[in-house]
Amino acid sequence: MREYPASRGAAGDDMTSQLVLQEVAATELEESPAAEKASRKQRRQAGGRRSYTMFLCILPFMVLVFVFSYFPLYGWIYSLFDYRAALGLSGSEFVGLRWFELLVSSPTQVAQIGQVLLNTLAISFLGIATSVLPLFFAVFLNEVRAPWFRNAVQTLTTLPNFISWVLVYMIAFSLFSSSGLVNNVLNDAGLITQPLKFLDTDQNVWLTMTLWSVWKGLGWGAIIYLAAIAGIDQSLYESAKIDGAGRFQLMRYITIPQLMPTYLVLLLLSVANLLNNGMEQYFVFQNAFNKETIQVLDLYVYNIGITGNSLSMATAIGMLKSVISVALLLTVNWIAKRVRGQSIV
Amino acid sequence: MKLPKKVVAVASALAMVGLLTSCIGGAPEERAAISEFPEKWDEEITVDVFDGVANYMGIQEGWFGDLVKKKFNMKLNFIAPNVAGGGDTLYNTRVSAGNLGDLIVIDKGMKLDELVQGGLVLDSAPFYPAMTNVEKFDTAVTHLNEGKDGIFAFPTMMSSIKPTEPDGGVDPSFGPYLRWDLYKQLGYPELNTLEDVLPVLKQMQDLEPTAPNGAKVYALSLFKDWDSNGIVTAKQPAAFYGYEDMGFAVAKADGSDYQALLDDDSEYMRALKFYHEANKLGLIDPESTTQNYDTMFSKVQNGQVLFSWWPWLGQSAYNNDANTQAGKGFEIVPLKDMNVLTFGAEVYGGAQTFAIGSKAKDPERIAAFIDWLYSPEGRHANDGKVMAAAGPKGLTWELDDSGQPALTELGRKIFIEGDAEVPAEWGGGSFVDGGSQMNVSAVLPADIDKETGLPFSYRTWPTYQALVETPLSADWKAKMGGAPTTMDYLRDNDQLLVATGASYTTPTDSSEIQTLRKQVEPIVVQYSWKMVFAGTDAEFDQLKADMQEEAKGLGYDKVLEVDLERAKERNEEREKVAKEFG
Repeated sequence: MREYPASRGAAGDDMTSQLVLQEVAATELEESPAAEKASRKQRRQAGGRRSYTMFLCILPFMVLVFVFSYFPLYGWIYSLFDYRAALGLSGSEFVGLRWFELLVSSPTQVAQIGQVLLNTLAISFLGIATSVLPLFFAVFLNEVRAPWFRNAVQTLTTLPNFISWVLVYMIAFSLFSSSGLVNNVLNDAGLITQPLKFLDTDQNVWLTMTLWSVWKGLGWGAIIYLAAIAGIDQSLYESAKIDGAGRFQLMRYITIPQLMPTYLVLLLLSVANLLNNGMEQYFVFQNAFNKETIQVLDLYVYNIGITGNSLSMATAIGMLKSVISVALLLTVNWIAKRVRGQSIV
Repeated sequence: MKLPKKVVAVASALAMVGLLTSCIGGAPEERAAISEFPEKWDEEITVDVFDGVANYMGIQEGWFGDLVKKKFNMKLNFIAPNVAGGGDTLYNTRVSAGNLGDLIVIDKGMKLDELVQGGLVLDSAPFYPAMTNVEKFDTAVTHLNEGKDGIFAFPTMMSSIKPTEPDGGVDPSFGPYLRWDLYKQLGYPELNTLEDVLPVLKQMQDLEPTAPNGAKVYALSLFKDWDSNGIVTAKQPAAFYGYEDMGFAVAKADGSDYQALLDDDSEYMRALKFYHEANKLGLIDPESTTQNYDTMFSKVQNGQVLFSWWPWLGQSAYNNDANTQAGKGFEIVPLKDMNVLTFGAEVYGGAQTFAIGSKAKDPERIAAFIDWLYSPEGRHANDGKVMAAAGPKGLTWELDDSGQPALTELGRKIFIEGDAEVPAEWGGGSFVDGGSQMNVSAVLPADIDKETGLPFSYRTWPTYQALVETPLSADWKAKMGGAPTTMDYLRDNDQLLVATGASYTTPTDSSEIQTLRKQVEPIVVQYSWKMVFAGTDAEFDQLKADMQEEAKGLGYDKVLEVDLERAKERNEEREKVAKEFG
């Protein structure tokens, strides 16, 4: 490395010099326009070199953001074409806004999309409502004294998270299909004569779907809280105990309040993912009977685009998701502004 | 420090460009025409067979795999959308990737056209002069490739049978097949029309409430994996009356009647009502909603089902030697008013075509393989399965002393008892499992084999007919006034409606119609299932009204208009072909 004493000094004192310059600029503002001009020039030069290096530092991340968040938006162009995979985009016909017209042209279509959005939001909100369960699970699990039992429970509840939805459906099918275990047991016990329809029904679909995802995600979701509990300052517990707090009081006044920041962060993240409730789960559970209530946005896009072979139409519907996400963001921002007097974006 | 950064930047930019341009392929190389194929191939290859009708995924095993290996030194790796499920998912992903497969079995019309247009299939014209077996069907090859700049596809299901004659041998494609032994126990009650089947099925189910394996017997077992523009099992009874669908249009094969699928009085609605009533009588397997064809097929094999829409379901699953000797089995029970639809031999071939992928590993060898499928040896082998051709000569059949083809010991075991092990020098393994997984015939098994003077289909051989005289068939024949086969009975009683084989190709949907169609179809399927399992008649009617309204809201009428037009067009073409070739 060659050294340039003068410039090095300037760079090293960069922070302070800038601050000083700012102050000077502020005081000089009224005094002399010429002096101000000079100092601004100086500042721009120093700042320019600095921000160039800074820019290089963030460049890789900007590229990543561009490649994974903005470049995919290029795919929206498919909604303006009549895309046929065999012909490629260049060989497909340009159709303008025809797909969007088709989307809004019939009331039934609009009603269908409305139902899909309703399903999406309902299942998402049920998911958010059940997000307190892992918290309580972790708190209670932490109170278990026998380590072997605690570890066994934790392992057993974490395990389902690693089972794919396809296998979960296999389990569900062998248990709850019309010739599954549950129906057979009930039938043999003489409780029913006709098999109960657990899977091929449109009753309580949102609820059962939520229960399946709770079953799958409970143990996994508790891990982060268990880690947070381990990080709580033990002196808090000690002083509470000295003050005569019992076990439940410790949980209520120490553990849970200490976990709240973690919970709120996770809650915020799940709100951000309101429309992204995935599709694997609903894809494997869907059938002719529950399709109307199980079809969430991602699954709907899949059904139209891939199963229905209308990729362009599916793109048009997929864009809806972005529009709604932006609308949600603006709403939350507005609420934040009203409540906290400070906006998020 | 700065230089390496630049290098990295340039390198990554180059990599990006490389990535993007790698999608753009080079121009296809020019090939010189050949006049004959080589005798043997030294290098072993595995070719990907994208087969739109195969029900098997993976490497072809058994005797057929062995035969192809010996002849062409290649293995067939089947890629089957039917197995993968999810409609056109597999097709779309492979097409987007630019390589559908080395050997392609695809529907003519829209799909073939877009593959040709998109450059995904190879022009086989250079190989065509060497394809001497295909050349016999040159008219059909020319007809299929009309308007295309080259020879991109080869027709299937060819034959020299007249288009106004049934394409099958002894059985129609559809028909009400019942468990004859139980029907006999009831004293052969007369059936005037479709709905009369229900009380009979009810009594039959009461006669045999449990199958030999201890499972509960249900007269009707439906399945879901073939559903498309409606639930597949509800489209079958229409065929008993000569109706055939064209999208949402339903047309009588002689052009005398056109219906819409969702009309109140359509054959489809009648069938839904039929199943709904059956369900109220407890005749429908509750697993119908979740099971696929394979599960249902094994239930028929186990005797858990009493009704079949097709001979190739009931008879091929249940009528094995042990059952038929005991007088048990599926036979057609005629409805007085039926007029069974059957298809005439297609003049220009069936719906599927063979094509060679543009990125095929060794297109010449694949062309040789396709050509072989049209040769007598290839036809015996490729169609060698239960109810079709007999398999390779010398393995399952031989010419007897009088020059007649006759099943060998092994052949009898396979085609009468169900299956047998193939000797090791033929590749070993079960004959049935080792059969060709192509699931498409180059030439109809009903076509005449020049060597024997009889059809390839062993079921029409006199030596076979003599073999399969069983208590079951004897009883059926006696009841049917001595008709030797089902086809003979139907023809003699004027209960057969042959749809002239005009090889009508359904035109490509405009993208708007296709999108509307794909939106309406799941609605029809969804509601149809609900209607079958509706608790009450009122619920059934409500669901029906909802279905009609929702389908209409999604553009059903627009699609129907197109479909009706096509159904009429198809009929016109049939009349033309009947006049020309009939």
